[in-house]
Formats: sequence, structure tokens, C-alpha cells
Amino acid sequence: MKLCALVLVAAMVVMVFTSCSGSKSSEASTDGTAATTAGKYYASDATAESIVKDAAAKGKVGNWGLGNEYEIQALLSKFGQDTKYLSQAFDMNGFDDDSILLASAMTYNELGLVKNSYKGGYKYGDGVKYIDMNEQGVAMLEDNLFTTKKFATENPNTTKAFIYATLKGWEYACANPEEAAEIVYKSGSSVSTEHQAYMAAEVKKLVETDTTGSAVKNYGNMDETAMQQTLDLAKKYIKLSDSTAASKLQTLTLNDIRDTSYLKDAAASAGKFGKLEKTSVKVQLKWLPQAQFMGYYVALSKGYYKDVGLTVTIVPGGGDIGETTAVNSGQVDFGVTWVSNLIAANAGGMNLVEVAQVFQRSGLVLVYKINK
Amino acid sequence: MNKKKHRKITKDSVTSVLYPLLFGAVIVVLWQTQILHKILGTDTFVLPLPDRIFTIIGDNMGAIMENVKATVIVSLGGLILGSALGYLLGMIAMAFPKWGAGGLTVVSAFNAVPIIAIAPILNNLTKDFSEDANTRSMIAKTLVVTITCTVAMSINAFRGFTELKPFSLDLMKSYAANKATIFFKLRVPNSLPYVFTALRVSVPASIISALVSEYFAEYIIGVGRQIRENIVLAQYATAWAYIVVACAIGIVLYLILLFAEGILLKNRRPRWKSV
Repeated sequence: MKLCALVLVAAMVVMVFTSCSGSKSSEASTDGTAATTAGKYYASDATAESIVKDAAAKGKVGNWGLGNEYEIQALLSKFGQDTKYLSQAFDMNGFDDDSILLASAMTYNELGLVKNSYKGGYKYGDGVKYIDMNEQGVAMLEDNLFTTKKFATENPNTTKAFIYATLKGWEYACANPEEAAEIVYKSGSSVSTEHQAYMAAEVKKLVETDTTGSAVKNYGNMDETAMQQTLDLAKKYIKLSDSTAASKLQTLTLNDIRDTSYLKDAAASAGKFGKLEKTSVKVQLKWLPQAQFMGYYVALSKGYYKDVGLTVTIVPGGGDIGETTAVNSGQVDFGVTWVSNLIAANAGGMNLVEVAQVFQRSGLVLVYKINK
Repeated sequence: MNKKKHRKITKDSVTSVLYPLLFGAVIVVLWQTQILHKILGTDTFVLPLPDRIFTIIGDNMGAIMENVKATVIVSLGGLILGSALGYLLGMIAMAFPKWGAGGLTVVSAFNAVPIIAIAPILNNLTKDFSEDANTRSMIAKTLVVTITCTVAMSINAFRGFTELKPFSLDLMKSYAANKATIFFKLRVPNSLPYVFTALRVSVPASIISALVSEYFAEYIIGVGRQIRENIVLAQYATAWAYIVVACAIGIVLYLILLFAEGILLKNRRPRWKSV
């Protein structure tokens, strides 16, 4: 009996050891092959089409899912590929260890982590290139500013004042990205100062350049063409199991998802709004505190909100916090989300309305390693 | 006398089935008539009505079954592996009683590690196991369930092997039975009720850990993953449809367990029936 047990223990010890050494040896092999075999990745002059087709055929296109996948699916469809993708974690380890060949990255966040060598960076530098959704014609608009139709109708002056002060914050942040990064960092940043500064510089580009690459001067502008492209792609790629929601999605028009009147009035107001219906408001961010949202932090820290008579609380997001749900339920008054998420939420029965479009172009890219 | 006892059992079992069913029916009625929404202070958006939820289930049977299959394979695979491993650990602990009980205490510390913490770790550790993302995701998820199910079984198996009826061990020894005979004739049969006690804990736990591990898996499939995706996309009706499906999986597996227990332990738990 004792012998039996000893054999069992020995077997388990062997199992544990093999699993450990297994993972170790594989780590070594990834390093080795990356350095020695040329042709494992992509040629630096390879076309976007050939790369997408190759990675899709290998089943190694990654995205976070949860409503961030539609541009990737549109690109896969554009090149005649199946729209399946791998679930990418919120770090870039999957890209680093080659389980994902073509990984989703935001220009202002993951792309910087992949390239740069500061803390948390993967130090790839020029060893990586990326496919830009704007250039591929599958850009969907991302970070916006939204509220419920009910809130906007009942609190028009508050809404206008909030838009005005927020965009003033964005204007200052884009003019002074380094200072803005510092402000965000002090407000409880989720990332390092270096990465925050990188992010601020990249976010500035998204706020001041449209999908065609032209400069944008009127912050928060809701460009008809880009909005329409976003809605059209959303209708094609947002798959809803709920037949009521799916049919509602197909009937949505731009007027169901955005209202340009508040932005127009805010721009013409010169900072005077009459009596504010509500003076204390909360804004829900889509993600953790970082320069992606520098406009809000700058407006708060520079007193722009106070100047128009508002007391503003910034509520950070992260993980699975649904900014659409938070705004819809009235826990917060305003929110930052991607236009596609707002479209899906309205199809599902919410009554949300975009009042400003902060990012003028898509910040999503597909990053890949190139052969040395 | 036998007859009388029999009737009592049926009466008990009827009420034990009837009351929960009645309670469930009342909830569904309150839900559909939106009285439940008033009590909870919520709306039909966050808590959609049952008819809408069941329409979605009916409309998407194919997709739902595909996800159910993925979840059930993971939870049953992990349950079987974990329980087998737990039983073995129980055996080892019994064979070395001096450190066995203490060792199991250490093992049970594993139970305190949250699934949310081990799921992403195992996901990373299993990345080289297969070229196919679906296969390696399945392995990672199954390992999470295995870890969850091992502890309950090892502790219960150990108790089943060691907490013998008074004098039964003395009786075996008085017959000069060797250790193997004692093990197979006395300890193993004695452990059977304990195995089922462990399974009663492990079956629901295996489903919960399968659902949670799907959140972090590389390959997007499973009932748990669908719940998450739909809630984040504010598709509450669809999310609820998958929640209902998850409940159904749990109930069906638990019923199968009770059924198996009823057959296998028919004569072993005399008191079990009259309670």
C-alpha cells in the first residue's frame, strides 16, 4: 500500500516538473526562433492585404472583443476572411509570445507599450509595423461624449455648459500635451509618467486629425461622413441575438444617435449659459484614468468646469464597467464611449444621444512584427 | 409497516418538489406582471420580461447549444479530473496519516485562491499546449475547474477512508485482513457517501468556475463568455437568456447527481430517506 502511494507521489512530482520545464523550454525556443529564422514574421514591405490574409488563415488575429471588434471584422471581411478573432487580454503578452500575429492596439496605448522601452514596454521599436483602420477605410469613431436624451432635454444649459468646458479642456490639453499628461498623472494615473506623455501626444493626433488625415480645428465636431460610415459598419458587424434589438439596429439613423444642436450652441455661447438646471454632474470614463481622457482632467484642474458653474466628478472606468449602462441608469450624467457601443446600446433599448465627438479618427491599429 | 414508510417518503418528496416549484412559479408570475420590477425598483431594460428571454432562447437554439456544449465539456472534464485527483490525494493522505491530515489542510488553501486569479494565469501557462486556440483554451478552462474540484474531494475522500464505523477496523484486523483487503472491502465502500457529499459541492462549483474561466479564455465560446459580452454591449435580454441557460445546466447536472446518488447509495444511507 505504501509502495502504491509512493509511486503516486512520484508520478505527481514528475507531472509538476514536466509542466514547469515545459513552459521554460518553450520560452527559450520563442526567443531562439525569433532571432534565428528569418521569414517567421512579415516582410517590411508586405501589403496589408497579404498580412491580414495570412494571419487570418492561421487564426492569429487578436482583439479584445466586448464591442471593440467591429473595425477588425470589417477589415477581415474587406479581404474576404472569416470574422473570427482570438480574444486578446488587456496586456500585449499574446503578441509578444507570438500566439497572436496581428494584434489589436490603440495608437495611444498598446502600440506605445509594444514599441517603447520604458517601464511596462516590450521594446520592439522599429521591429513592428501596423495597419491603420483609417487608411483601410474601415474606421469607426471612438471616444465621444454622450448622455441620455432625457437628460439633455431636461438640462439643456447644463449639457451645453459641460460640452463647452470639456472642449476647452481638450483644446488646452492638445496645445500643451506634456502638461496635460502631468495633470492626468497627478489625478490618479493607471500608467507611468513616460507612457502618459506618449499617450497625450498620440491622443492629440486623434483629436485634431480626421479619418482622411485632414486637420480639425472645431473640437468635438460630429463629422457626417465619418459618423455615417460608423453607423453603416455597425449595422453590418454588430450581431445581436435578440431579434427585437437586431431589427431596431437596422432602422437607426444618425438622428437616433447624435444631436449636434448642443455643440453648436456651446460653440456660439462664449461661456454664458443662463441658469444651469443641474450644477453638480458626474462623467463616466470608458477606461482607467489616463491621457486618453486628458481633456476632462485638464478642464477640472484648470477650473474650466468651475468657470461655467459646474461641479464635476470624473468617474474612472475599467474592466467590464458599462459606461452606457451607468449613464442610462442615471448613476452618472455624462459618459465617454465608442460610437459603436452607443449604437448597440440604443438598439438594445436605451435612449442615449451623442453630444460631441472628441476623437475625430480611429485610434485602432493592427500591429505585427517584421522580419529583420 | 414497510408500506407505511413508503407512503411517507412519497409525501415528503412531493412536498419537497412542490414547494420550490410553486415558489418559482410565483416569482415568474410576479416577474412577467412587472410587480417584481416595482419591488426591486428596476425596469424592464435591465430585467427583461420572461417571455422576451424565452423568445431569444428559442430564436438562438443553435448558437446556444454550441456554447452549452463548450461549457458542459469543460465543467464535466474538470469535475472528473479534479475529483479523481482529489480521491488520489485522499488516498495518499490516508496512507501517511501522520502528515496526511496536515497536508490536506495545505491543499485546502488552494480553495481560497479565487478563480478570477488562477484563470488568466493558467491561460498563459497553457499557451504552448496546442496550436489550436480552441483546444488550448479548453485545456486552460478545464484545469481551472480541476483545481476547484480537487480540494472538496480530497478532504471528503480522506474522511471517507478514515472515519470508519466503530469496531469495523478492529473486526477486519481480528480476521487478520491485510491492508489491501481493508482498503477495498472497508475503506472504499465507506468512502462512497463522502464522495457524493464532495460531488454535491463540486458539481455547482465546476459550472461556476467553467463560466468564470471562459471570461479570460483566448477562444471566445461558452455560456459565461456570452453573458459577459452581452452585458458589456448592454444587451441585457440576451445576457439574461444565457443566465437562464446557465441555471438550467446547473439544475440538470445536479439532478443527474441526485439520481445517481439515489441509485448507488440506496442501501447505504438508511437515515437519508427518512430525513
